[in-house]
Amino acid sequence: MAEIRRESPVDFGVRSLETEVRSDWPVALAYDAEGDGPWVVDLSHKTRWDLQDGQVGELTPAGQSVPATPGMSVLADGILINRMNRTQTSIYHLGSDAPDLPDHPGFTDVTEATIFLALFGPHALHIAEKLSNLDLGDPNKEAPFLLQGPFCHVPCQIVTLEKDAEDGTNGAGGFVLTCSRGYAQSMVHAILDAGAEFGLRPAGEQRFAQWLAALSS
Amino acid sequence: MALTLTCPVCGKRNGYEFRYGGEDKGPRPAEEGMTPSAWCDYVHMNKCTAGVQKEWWFHRDGCGAWFTTYRDTVANLEVDAPEVTE
Repeated sequence: MAEIRRESPVDFGVRSLETEVRSDWPVALAYDAEGDGPWVVDLSHKTRWDLQDGQVGELTPAGQSVPATPGMSVLADGILINRMNRTQTSIYHLGSDAPDLPDHPGFTDVTEATIFLALFGPHALHIAEKLSNLDLGDPNKEAPFLLQGPFCHVPCQIVTLEKDAEDGTNGAGGFVLTCSRGYAQSMVHAILDAGAEFGLRPAGEQRFAQWLAALSS
Repeated sequence: MALTLTCPVCGKRNGYEFRYGGEDKGPRPAEEGMTPSAWCDYVHMNKCTAGVQKEWWFHRDGCGAWFTTYRDTVANLEVDAPEVTE
C-alpha cells in the first residue's frame, strides 16, 4: 500500500523546532524564537469544508447552526462556520480532529485546494492594513465575522476572530484567512515582509491552540 | 475616480473585484410562440444606453453573489435607481 504524505504549500523559510505527522500532514508544533508576537501560523492541515445548498440556512453541519446573515460567523467547539452568501457556507475545523465528511451532496472538502493561515498578536491588524483595503477591525461588526475580498490582491476568505486584545490594545487581535493553494509562496512572502517592522514571526500550532483556547474561554 | 459598486452582501467595494454580467434585459421570454429571431434579439441585442442603465454584476473576488445595480455609463459611476416616470 502506497504511503501518503501531504505537504502544505506554505514555507516560512525556517525549520520548525517540533513537528508531528497527523493524518499524513507534517504539522509544525513550535518554532525556535517565536518571540512575543505578532505570529503567523500555517494551519493548512486543518480540515475545511465548503457547503452549498439552496436551503443552507436550515442545515446543521457538525451539529452547529449556520448563521442567518451572509458575513456572519459563529465559533463553537472549535468549529468556525461562516455564511458566505445566500447559498454557500464555509466550515473550518480549528480543533484537533474533524469528523468524516457528511453524506449530504452539498459538502466538499477543500482542505487540499486552499491554504489556511492565522495571523494574531500585537499589531496583527496593523499588518493587515498594509496588505488589504478590507476593514478587519470594523467597529460595526462583532467578532467573529467573515470578509470576502482581496488580501495582497488575492481573493480570500478572512475571518476576524478577535478585533482587540483582552487588555484593550487596539490592533492586537487576530484573524484567519484562506485562499487558493497556488498563492501560498507569494502570500507568505508578502505577509512576512509587511510584518517585519512589527516583529512578525512564524509560530507553531501550539501557539494558535493557546490563542483559540483563550478566545473560547 | 475609479468605479465602486455596492454588493448586497459585502457593501461598497472596488469595481475591479466584480465581473460585468451585461444589461438587465428583464425576465427570460416565454418559450411559447418564441421565434429564433426573438430569441436572438433577447440574447445578443443590447440597448447600449448612454446614461443610466440597469446591469448585472458578479462579485468575483468576494462573496460570489450576482446582483443588479444602476450605472451611469457616461460617468462610469454607480447611481441610485432612477425614479419611475409614467
